[in-house]
Amino acid sequence: MKDILTIIFRLTVTCILAAMVMGSAFIITNKAKKHNEHVNEQKVRYALLGYSAAQPIPDSMALHEMYRYVVTDKESQAIGYLLPGKEGFIFLTLDMEGKVIDNKPVDIAESAVLEKDLRDKVVQEIAGAGRSVTFADQTIVVTNNGERVAYLLDGKFTGFKTFIGVMLAVDPKFSILGLEILEHEEDPGLGAEIERDYFRNQFKGKTFDQLKDLDVVKEPLPDEYFQALEGNIAAADAAEILAKYGDRDIYALTGATISSRYVNTGVKGIVKKFAYRLNILDTALADQKIKAAF
Amino acid sequence: MANDKTSMQLISRGILSENPIFKLALSMCPAVGISTTVINGLMLGVAVLFVQVFSSVTISLFKNKIHPRIRIPTYTLTIATWVTVIDLALAAYLPDAYARMGIFVKLIVAFAIITMRLEMFACKESVNDSFWDGLGMGLGFMVGMVVIGFVRELLGSGAIFGYDVLGFKPLLFFILPSAGFFVVGLMMAFFNWIELAYKRTKGKI
Repeated sequence: MKDILTIIFRLTVTCILAAMVMGSAFIITNKAKKHNEHVNEQKVRYALLGYSAAQPIPDSMALHEMYRYVVTDKESQAIGYLLPGKEGFIFLTLDMEGKVIDNKPVDIAESAVLEKDLRDKVVQEIAGAGRSVTFADQTIVVTNNGERVAYLLDGKFTGFKTFIGVMLAVDPKFSILGLEILEHEEDPGLGAEIERDYFRNQFKGKTFDQLKDLDVVKEPLPDEYFQALEGNIAAADAAEILAKYGDRDIYALTGATISSRYVNTGVKGIVKKFAYRLNILDTALADQKIKAAF
Repeated sequence: MANDKTSMQLISRGILSENPIFKLALSMCPAVGISTTVINGLMLGVAVLFVQVFSSVTISLFKNKIHPRIRIPTYTLTIATWVTVIDLALAAYLPDAYARMGIFVKLIVAFAIITMRLEMFACKESVNDSFWDGLGMGLGFMVGMVVIGFVRELLGSGAIFGYDVLGFKPLLFFILPSAGFFVVGLMMAFFNWIELAYKRTKGKI
């Protein structure tokens, strides 16, 4: 009996010590890890817009982050947008019909906006007591010399196993510029193929009208299309082949039709919902004569 | 059993006469799995070196406090703690390398060589000796990984440190996991042969 007690005691102490060491290591490395994630995110964004380290993004281009919140009080729900204005940030609340409820300037620094916790706190204060806010998603509006050239959309939808996190780039007419799979837990060799170029790039160049009834077909992917999607052939030839197959549906991955379908439906959903929301937001911005940064 | 070896002897024992890979044939899984290039081998070697040294020192420090009935769980906890530390550090400061070998770093918890050194050496000897023993064994593992990685990278992809030196790929087979066994086996034979030759010149046989 005495043995058991000492064993329990010593194991507990060992665990506590171990937890302390691991905890301090986590605290020390956390900042660098966050920085890496941020750099990685930036890289993905630039890659989607067609820029890389070799071809840096021009100075005239700017990325404006816009955050969407769901604001709920006792009776109703509303949508809140935290968006950059010409001077400082603005928090704009719209009701479900798209009518403006209120429009307040937000006193928050550029760097603080990027921190989710800080941002959520500030937004909660602005919304006021009695209303609760939940972060929904974020959108990046890309401008070149003040003209909107693209939108970067973050999205998450169900996959075959868990959630699939993606980032989409669409142009102002909502044609897809690029798709990047950020996180997923699909089966290696089957569903995990969604992150391969030959699958992702099939979405590239699909216009909004095509996208509305885009489907997944269970047919073998033609070899020349595969080579062109993977970037194995010269750019000029590849463009011709891609144009030839441009209006086809998405070819399902072999053995992973369900994953392919989920990605297809997910991407369609993200773009359609975004187009609908942006329309409402733009009308509201024009109505209120709000000067947004984009 | 008191240790009568000097620090230098402890280090050379880990690298040569009791090399974890070539002599003790422990922790063969990573030796075969990840040693396809010199850099990969070196990275994992450094991670193991770190974990081995810190675990040996920790166990040696607390050797009188560890209840004999729960020494293995305590070793595992200690190793797991240091593995987590190096895992977090690599993920934070060397993200590119970590993306390639992250899963193998977590596997260090189950490496036989580390537990074996704790059981055989660190739980009996002084902190100082345990440090040198851990350093020797860690270095031995690292050297083994680098040598195997060197052979496999040179023969498999005709490159060293990622730079193309041969201009062609002699034997693609060496990149595949099964070739790891061949390289390890040949290396073992080579090490034994050197040892025998050395002993012969000294007139010990």
